[in-house]
Amino acid sequence: MITKKKDSARDERLDRVGREIVRASALNEAEADRVASSPFLYTRLRARIAEERARREERESWLAMLAVAWRSVPAMALVAIFAFILFLSAGTGTTATASFTDEALLGERDAGVEQVVFADRQPLSSDEILTTILYEDEQGASR
Amino acid sequence: MDEMADNSDPATIPAAESIAEPSDVELVAEARSGDEQAFEQLFNRHRRRVSLIASRFFRQREQLEEIVQESFTKAYFALNDFSNQQETSFASWIARIAFNACYDELRRMKRRPESSMSNVSEEEAAWLKEQVRSEGAGQDIESGAVSRDLADKLLARLSPEDRMVLLMMDVEGLSVNEIAESTSWSVSKVKVRAHRARAGLRRVLKRFL
Repeated sequence: MITKKKDSARDERLDRVGREIVRASALNEAEADRVASSPFLYTRLRARIAEERARREERESWLAMLAVAWRSVPAMALVAIFAFILFLSAGTGTTATASFTDEALLGERDAGVEQVVFADRQPLSSDEILTTILYEDEQGASR
Repeated sequence: MDEMADNSDPATIPAAESIAEPSDVELVAEARSGDEQAFEQLFNRHRRRVSLIASRFFRQREQLEEIVQESFTKAYFALNDFSNQQETSFASWIARIAFNACYDELRRMKRRPESSMSNVSEEEAAWLKEQVRSEGAGQDIESGAVSRDLADKLLARLSPEDRMVLLMMDVEGLSVNEIAESTSWSVSKVKVRAHRARAGLRRVLKRFL
């Protein structure tokens, strides 16, 4: 009981000193008056307001751009889907109509071309090559 | 009677009206419509009050100027939010903005490592002990520059919320309801904050006993 009373008395004393300390910390009126009477305070405030206004306008323009971009996302997605579908349909169309064979490329109706191709396709035999060499050698010797 | 007759003279009424200063509400309306001079007048009327509020929390001149500028810049861009029906006056509205600016600055200071609290010197601790022990404590505190520095050091150990509540109660003399209005906190939060702030300051002081 006695210690409790002692504690509360001490707390009261501490609170009182605490209050005085808080009041002492706030004693700065002279400096407040000096600041309030500063001749350029309003000029600096105007500059700050102008700065803040520019910042806000810049932020607003960015936000507007973002909003436009955000609104264009569905449209762009639709265009992308449409392009993808178009690509797929075009791809399946070519595979169905023409395969990449010689016949498909050259066309069956052009018989001349087909013949040339067939002639090109016949390789020279080693006998023919040997005969040609021997013939050329003989001719060279007779000269 | 003669005076009344003079006042009712139609020739004198417009002159008297032109001399009369416009009210804060009228100036706000003009400033809202882009009249810069009206805002300057509002600034000139209330800058001392805002500066005084800032001086409760901060000591350096740069800090005070910063709070004044911050408060009036916020007010300028929030003029459309001000309505005389909700607020009691422009003065209390701007004071509320100033308190919030101080609170924000206190929080910023607490986050900055360079603003960490400096130690209480042995001399200051002894002086504080003497103050707590003596029955007539507090009489001398307000006068000493040493105690002002010491008070700053001690209060720096409290949270920004605690410091704010203590200053509003003990220095500004605001009631719990008024603090709740100014800070947009609930009444119960202010009460709890005040209780914790007192206990916190007591704890800080006990360390020096």
